[in-house]
Amino acid sequence: MSGTRSTKGGTLRLRLYVAGESPNSVAAIRHLRAVLAGYPSLHAELEIIDVLKSPEAGMRARVLVTPTMVKVAPSPERRITGNLKDTNALVAVLGLTEAPRE
Amino acid sequence: MIKRHRGIRYVSTGIRGFDEITGGGLPAGRITVVLGGAGGGKTIFGVQALAVGARQFAEPGVFVAFEESANQVVENTRSFVWGIDRLKGKSIDVVDAYLSQSAEQGGEFDLLGLLSILGQRVKAIRAKRIVLDGLDVLLANLGNPTLARREVFRLREWLQDSRLTAIITAKADAADIRLSPEYDFLQFMADCVVTVQHRVVGGTAMRFIRVAKCRGGPHSANEFPFTIGEEGIEVGAGAAMEMDHPAPTTRISSGVERLDSMLGGGYHRGSSTLITGSPGTAKTTLAAAFAVSASQRKERTLFVSFDEAPAQIVRNIASVGIALGPHVASGVLRMHSLRSRVASPEAHVAHIRELLREHRAQNLVLDPISALGPGGEESLGQRAAIEILDLTKSQSITGVYTSLLGNKAALTEETPIGISTIADTWMHVSYVNQGGERNRALTVIKSRGTGHSNQVRELILSKTGLTLSDVYSAGGEVLMGTLRWEREGQERRKQHNFKRELEVRQREAALVLAETQARTRAALSAEAVQEAALERIKAEREESDEQVATQSLELRQRRGADDLRVARRRATRPSAR
Repeated sequence: MSGTRSTKGGTLRLRLYVAGESPNSVAAIRHLRAVLAGYPSLHAELEIIDVLKSPEAGMRARVLVTPTMVKVAPSPERRITGNLKDTNALVAVLGLTEAPRE
Repeated sequence: MIKRHRGIRYVSTGIRGFDEITGGGLPAGRITVVLGGAGGGKTIFGVQALAVGARQFAEPGVFVAFEESANQVVENTRSFVWGIDRLKGKSIDVVDAYLSQSAEQGGEFDLLGLLSILGQRVKAIRAKRIVLDGLDVLLANLGNPTLARREVFRLREWLQDSRLTAIITAKADAADIRLSPEYDFLQFMADCVVTVQHRVVGGTAMRFIRVAKCRGGPHSANEFPFTIGEEGIEVGAGAAMEMDHPAPTTRISSGVERLDSMLGGGYHRGSSTLITGSPGTAKTTLAAAFAVSASQRKERTLFVSFDEAPAQIVRNIASVGIALGPHVASGVLRMHSLRSRVASPEAHVAHIRELLREHRAQNLVLDPISALGPGGEESLGQRAAIEILDLTKSQSITGVYTSLLGNKAALTEETPIGISTIADTWMHVSYVNQGGERNRALTVIKSRGTGHSNQVRELILSKTGLTLSDVYSAGGEVLMGTLRWEREGQERRKQHNFKRELEVRQREAALVLAETQARTRAALSAEAVQEAALERIKAEREESDEQVATQSLELRQRRGADDLRVARRRATRPSAR
């Protein structure tokens, strides 16, 4: 957490909890990557955690619903669940302005 | 305690009375859904089943808290004897699974994350049981009913695959135990559906449990009252289905000597005696006599009264020479008063059970047992009463129970709480109205295993205690009290009077005789008087005749007739010479 503030320009730190190769999880990774790609100037660190492989990590973050994306930094921490097909909701959680995508 | 019904194995819940309803507990490796309103006892049902499984059946369990935090769940069970605080992390695992509503929804989801966590926890402690507490909360927070439904079916599959005995609790409309329509499917995916309810009956808050469905098992679909006490949920009625009581043959005194002989030596130890009667017929006194007698034998005795303070009972009973006080002081006798309206019959039963255990009682007096039934719902009181009888019998506690009962009801031989059939001995005290006076008549209506006297006895209260007296029957009627003494007196008097009458008659006859004799004597004397008078008259007449003769002679002499003088001298003085 302490590192978040020192990161100039506000690096986006994300954790995406997925459940193996399940359709929603696969879709979530795809959708998230696509949105992030729309902001080339953005510094984003994405960590993908498979709760099937490490349930303890899922437990610690209390991830019941998969997939769940947690925006760890910058604070406040925010969450979004689902396959992230709802781009508007995802962008809002990421704290990004309307993506000027061409 | 494993039972099978049509191939389905059942595991005990450890909930007193519940296992009997379903014929063994819950179907093993299957899903039971527990529905009820808020505060209905759903969570306790789940935790208790887990705790008992872990403690008594070596079946570790996982508790999944969707509604409250794991810590809260553990804390809430601390007051129960099976509290899971000591088991946590060993044979019981509690999973925090409250789904924060703060998460945004960004498309289709699944519950694989949850299943992954649960899978890991189950594996870690080799759990056999699992409780998913407040699934409705999870479903509501998921927000998408269609998806939620699909995920619940996924959950069901997972539970079945893992062969866990699962309890899923969900909030339902308290009034008619119905889930919100979108979660209706929960009931259909369950093998067993249990409902718990909290409602007010006759002014008393009561809890009820019902098994609405149970696959494979022969279950009772009736509603049963239950309480939540120190031991958790205790369901009434179930226990009564077991009839395996020991039957001791030793006798203990009832505290009334004549009653003991009437009953062939007293009450059987471990038996239950019902004393019925109208108010004021000395039911409490009879029960107190037993309590004192038991206390004198140094037997630990519990005297539970309803709506009457112990001090008041002690004082009232002391007035007839039965001293409860010293035994209360010595600790052998414990008196406890309950308020009938404050708690449900089931709560009273739980309380009494607790008191019996605390006091390690060998004898119980419950005065009156009829106070268990709240107004209008006699069947509940009856069930509670049966449970008390069952409880004491199973522990060989000798019980004496009084019950309010009018004389009229006695005719139909039906106690208001219907326990007369279960009680071993049933005595009825009634008032008999005769000659403007009420007397107490005691009848032993039944007494199992005893050649008891069928005769009615008069129950007499005095400053020195209770006594039974033989009754006096006259003209086919049983007489008591003053009337009896009167009638007995009448008989005595009759005899007495007859004797006296004879005496009088004898005396009268004697008098008459005496009078007659007197009269006879009087008559006789009158006769004598008459005779005497007659004699006198005769004598007077003779005298006068003589005088006449003398006078005529004198006349003749005076006229000079000589010979007559000589003749007269000879006649008047013959012996003068």
